[in-house]
Amino acid sequence: MREPNGTPRIGVYVCHCGTNIASTVDVAAVRDAAESLPGVVLSRDYKYMCSDPGQELIKHDIAEFGLERVVVASCSPCLHEETFRGAVGEGGINPYFFQMVNIREHDSWVHRDIAAATAKANDLIRAAVRRVRFHEPLEPRRVPIDPRVMVVGGGIAGIHAALTLANAGKQVYLVEREPSIGGHMAMFDKTFPTLDCAACILTPKMTQVRAHPNIQIMTMSEVEEVSGFVGDYRVRVKHHPRFVIEDACVGCLECIDACVFRNGKTPDEFNLGLSKRKPIYIPFPQAVPQVVVIDPEACIEFRAGCRKKTCVEVCAERNAIDFQQEVTYDEVTVGAIILATGFQAFEASRLPQYGYGRLDAVYTALEVERLVNASGPTEGSIVLRDGSTPTSIGIIHCIGSRDKNTNEYCSRVCCMYSLKLAHLLKEKTDAEIYEFYIDMRTPGKGFEEFYNRVEEEGVHFIRGKVADVYPEAGNTGRVVLQAEDTLAGMVRKIPVDMVVLATGLEPQPDAEDVRRTFNITCGSGGFFTERHPKLAPVSTFTDGVFLAGACQGPKDIPDTVAQAGAAAAEALALIDAGHIELEPNTAFVVEERCSGCRTCVGMCPFSAISIVDGKAVINEVLCKGCGTCVAACPSGAIRQNLFEDEEIFEEILGVLTHV
Amino acid sequence: MATEPMIRIEADRDPEFAAWFTGLVGEEKLRECIHCGVCSGSCPLASHMDLGPRKLMYLAREGWADDVLGSNTIWLCTSCYACTVACPQQIPVTDVMYALKRKAIEAGKAPKRHPVAVMAKQFSRMVHRRGRMSEAYLIAGLALRSGVHRYVGMLPMGVNAVRTGRISLKLDRIRRRKELTALLDRVEREREEVAAS
Repeated sequence: MREPNGTPRIGVYVCHCGTNIASTVDVAAVRDAAESLPGVVLSRDYKYMCSDPGQELIKHDIAEFGLERVVVASCSPCLHEETFRGAVGEGGINPYFFQMVNIREHDSWVHRDIAAATAKANDLIRAAVRRVRFHEPLEPRRVPIDPRVMVVGGGIAGIHAALTLANAGKQVYLVEREPSIGGHMAMFDKTFPTLDCAACILTPKMTQVRAHPNIQIMTMSEVEEVSGFVGDYRVRVKHHPRFVIEDACVGCLECIDACVFRNGKTPDEFNLGLSKRKPIYIPFPQAVPQVVVIDPEACIEFRAGCRKKTCVEVCAERNAIDFQQEVTYDEVTVGAIILATGFQAFEASRLPQYGYGRLDAVYTALEVERLVNASGPTEGSIVLRDGSTPTSIGIIHCIGSRDKNTNEYCSRVCCMYSLKLAHLLKEKTDAEIYEFYIDMRTPGKGFEEFYNRVEEEGVHFIRGKVADVYPEAGNTGRVVLQAEDTLAGMVRKIPVDMVVLATGLEPQPDAEDVRRTFNITCGSGGFFTERHPKLAPVSTFTDGVFLAGACQGPKDIPDTVAQAGAAAAEALALIDAGHIELEPNTAFVVEERCSGCRTCVGMCPFSAISIVDGKAVINEVLCKGCGTCVAACPSGAIRQNLFEDEEIFEEILGVLTHV
Repeated sequence: MATEPMIRIEADRDPEFAAWFTGLVGEEKLRECIHCGVCSGSCPLASHMDLGPRKLMYLAREGWADDVLGSNTIWLCTSCYACTVACPQQIPVTDVMYALKRKAIEAGKAPKRHPVAVMAKQFSRMVHRRGRMSEAYLIAGLALRSGVHRYVGMLPMGVNAVRTGRISLKLDRIRRRKELTALLDRVEREREEVAAS
């Protein structure tokens, strides 16, 4: 084992973190105990080491007392290792002559016994003091960054993020799996609480995306595989066939009129099956790109062969229809990725007591959005499946939310969109409207005022969750909603013509696959996890991959747009620097000891090791410092910066000294 | 019109009852009740209950012991489990009912000669002694202890049930009854020990 580089002069700093640490750990005792450790020339405690005065203290002591190593015992390195390394560097010594000890998350927050927690803090600091003596001067690695960005998902989040980046002069690939961008927002009628029309505010942005020279839209496309690392992601994109040549089609829609199907027979996805479309169609009038798409499941050319091919005939001049199209792939390189893959609405038939799919009177909220929409299946008039207009309507909150049998979390938007639908339905039908809610959650700018407005409009608010929905006796076509009116303390049965289920928001069905593709994490509800809920809300644990919109958790349009802007700004800050600095904790090979056995090559999860002239060579840029090869090497030829054998053994000895 | 004071003071509350109740296995979930009312809404007998399951559970967890143990709600519960299935917080509502029935009997608060309470008692006594249910004797015991007049109208149906073999007049029992009795006594003793600690 190597000897420490002389006997470096060590300074130890113990942070109170307000009362976070100081209430469970006796910091003064810890400070005194550290002072007596070999090599320690100075030991201090301070209320907030991360504050400016705290950092100044370190810088001052390095100059004043000639400190050569610094140990800070405070919170998790995830939070402030960067901060203290910066301070140490500015103090004039190598920033890696520093070791952080976590006595908050690993100690004060998880223990109650003050004596034991104090002893643990002493052990951890002793370990750090012993290890830091062996630290070598290191330089962070610098790698260049590809200035292009990929945005996955073309809803309002993806659109806003893409536009922000494109306006800043960055090249953006916008990947969308549907035939048009627009996402869920394009399906909505009005937006709460201002009641501006969703299409009126969304379609101008969609048009900007289409026209922007810096944005390349890839519709009907999905990300198949991601390799590489921050600054240099290689993304393989799969393009599904549209059977229409995008560059040739001008969106005249003559082919739709010419189709041999006189009427549509296939449920229209955009109207959630409330209307029918033809095999050749455009998802909705303002679709971007303005290009038709052919559904091979419905088109008879793909099943039996179409004798007439009237669509091809009518498009003879532009010749945009191509039945031969197949799946194609593209590989693009980008420096950063923004995931804006959105949500799916809760499948209401999972709760059979509400009768969705069984009782004609029952609709989901998203279906009602289409019903009230002027460009929807009924051109905005409220016509039920049986052709009638409702005179009484029940809206049931929390369908698939706040329910441990489905999703435990609150979906955040349902109270407000239910109020909005109550207002719109009242306006259009003057029906009696009953809202069944558990708690009315209206925390947002102008939300409570909107709630008051809907109350004034005469909507009945019943505090209680509907327990049962069943057909009224006598074949009236109406259904009865049975619920406890908890404020009145009685069970009520209310017959209505129409039921609206306020379905919650769930992760996309393939969120788990997406998570794996992009190497990020999902929380308990299945939504993507941000790096830190407060301080890094749009970052992920994978550098260069950012989150925007409802893929990170249920949220409304204002929050989604704000988050998309933040994700774009983070991505911009990353790629605009031109290069990034990476942790120098890489592994390296001691050539004379390497036998060329290749054990490490297969073990490396990042494919960073290759064999050159019979010896292992580690690509520093690819190495993530996981240490697998170091442990696996049978001849002990691989070492790792910041995790040298001496450093680890001294740390272990330090912890175990008193045992 | 007579008026009674509607205000309750904190001294009327029984925190020990609340602590006992929420301390039962499974009942700690009661603290998570969000008062959506789906239990009362789904209860087929809520229309005849004074409190209904939601109010009953709230009063129980807050320690209003007299209101809870004196309510008819616990005796009307038929254990159909509709509330338990529907509860978004997965509170075992039916188990709550059983725990409270037991407590009411122990506290002498069970309504005298109430058929549900009498039936429960008869049932457990018969199982305890004989290890098997003999319906004819169960019904007879129930009728004698809760008032014969209640069952006069059902007599023809009872006769039919006996004639078609739906109810046997034989007094059944298991072999090695003593072992079962010892087993049940042991359970009861342990339960009491747990309750005492």
